[in-house]
Amino acid sequence: MKIHGKLLSHYLSCCSPVDKEGYLYKKSERTGSYQKRWFVLKGNLLFYQECRSDGSPLGVIVLEGCSIELCESDELFAFSVGFGGHGCGTYRLAAKDQPSQESWIKALLSASHGFLSMLVSDLERRYHEVVSETCGSAFCQQAVDGKGFTPFLASQNYRPSAPTGGQSCHMSQLLQVPPTSRRNTSKISPKLWTKRTIDDRAVNEPAAAEVRDEASGGPPSLEDFCMLHELYGKEVKDLIALRQIMERKDEKDVKDEQATGSG
Amino acid sequence: MRFNERELVSLSRQPSERAAELGMRGPRKGDVVKKRLVKLVVNFLFYFRTDEEEPLGALLLEGCRVEREDEQAFSIAFLDEAERKYLFECDSKEQCVEWIESIVKASYEFMRKSLIFYRSEIQRMTGKDPLEQYGISDEARFQISSISSIQGT
Repeated sequence: MKIHGKLLSHYLSCCSPVDKEGYLYKKSERTGSYQKRWFVLKGNLLFYQECRSDGSPLGVIVLEGCSIELCESDELFAFSVGFGGHGCGTYRLAAKDQPSQESWIKALLSASHGFLSMLVSDLERRYHEVVSETCGSAFCQQAVDGKGFTPFLASQNYRPSAPTGGQSCHMSQLLQVPPTSRRNTSKISPKLWTKRTIDDRAVNEPAAAEVRDEASGGPPSLEDFCMLHELYGKEVKDLIALRQIMERKDEKDVKDEQATGSG
Repeated sequence: MRFNERELVSLSRQPSERAAELGMRGPRKGDVVKKRLVKLVVNFLFYFRTDEEEPLGALLLEGCRVEREDEQAFSIAFLDEAERKYLFECDSKEQCVEWIESIVKASYEFMRKSLIFYRSEIQRMTGKDPLEQYGISDEARFQISSISSIQGT
């Protein structure tokens, strides 16, 4: 099977954060002796190389479905990374002291993709709960203001008045795409962005489509964005309808005045 | 690079987020579209010859760019090389959209950012750290600083 090692090396050396690194001893399967290696944990991948200054890794261990156990029988501060599948082996590692051993075990235990996926689902659910508790209308000014969205809730204080330059400016603000999403979509091919339609909302959500490792303040999930998009849309429609009502009312008032004034 | 091949093959056999037969074309000039069973498991995209047990290859889905190519096709570009793209042809527009969404959300780094976002928002709105109950509040990987450390790079 081809592992496409270049992609792995690239991930190791690119700008995403290193979760843990340091020297550990690794038991050689061939000789049975422990060899000192520089380990780098990034995401669910544990890379190792001969020493810290090496350019490229000797190897990588994909940390999915593994169990971590203490095993100090043959070496002090040792632990094993074991895989349960058919024909799968066990990596034996050893740290230099107890705090290092504990720290590595803890880091490796929380490294799997499955674990992170579970955490994200849980926190996403709680985020939605908190948002609806906080705001009632499931829309929180604080939550979105902090992320650079237009201060949409200013519209909740909308006061009907004759159309003015200021007001139309306000409406165009409401109809703008939130700046955060623009920042994210700059990473996407223009083709993808211009094909955006209401139906294609699911694929074109800029927050979710950002795949570059660059700071963004953390995009919400596609579901979050869909929900906010719908709320924006509904609020805008409501406001446009309200404005139309007020305009008609103003027109009627003016006509009434003219009728009574001329009499 | 050495890797735990047996474990990776074992991983490729596990229930996947998404699996389908797609047309797949490699990045090199002269590569043609071939029918492959494409399977998304954690942040790897495995591809098999149809009816074969062992995958032909595994692509790590980190730091890659996913783009819609046309109605029913998408591409994945790796290594910041926009011209080194793998092309995938789907059977329908819906399938194409679903694949793109799944691949984007499968990236570990995407999930990390989502987690940090939700964590900081929940903390801000409730005053409580939602990761405390898991005993992992101090884990470096879930700190907001791990995102800010890559700003400006």
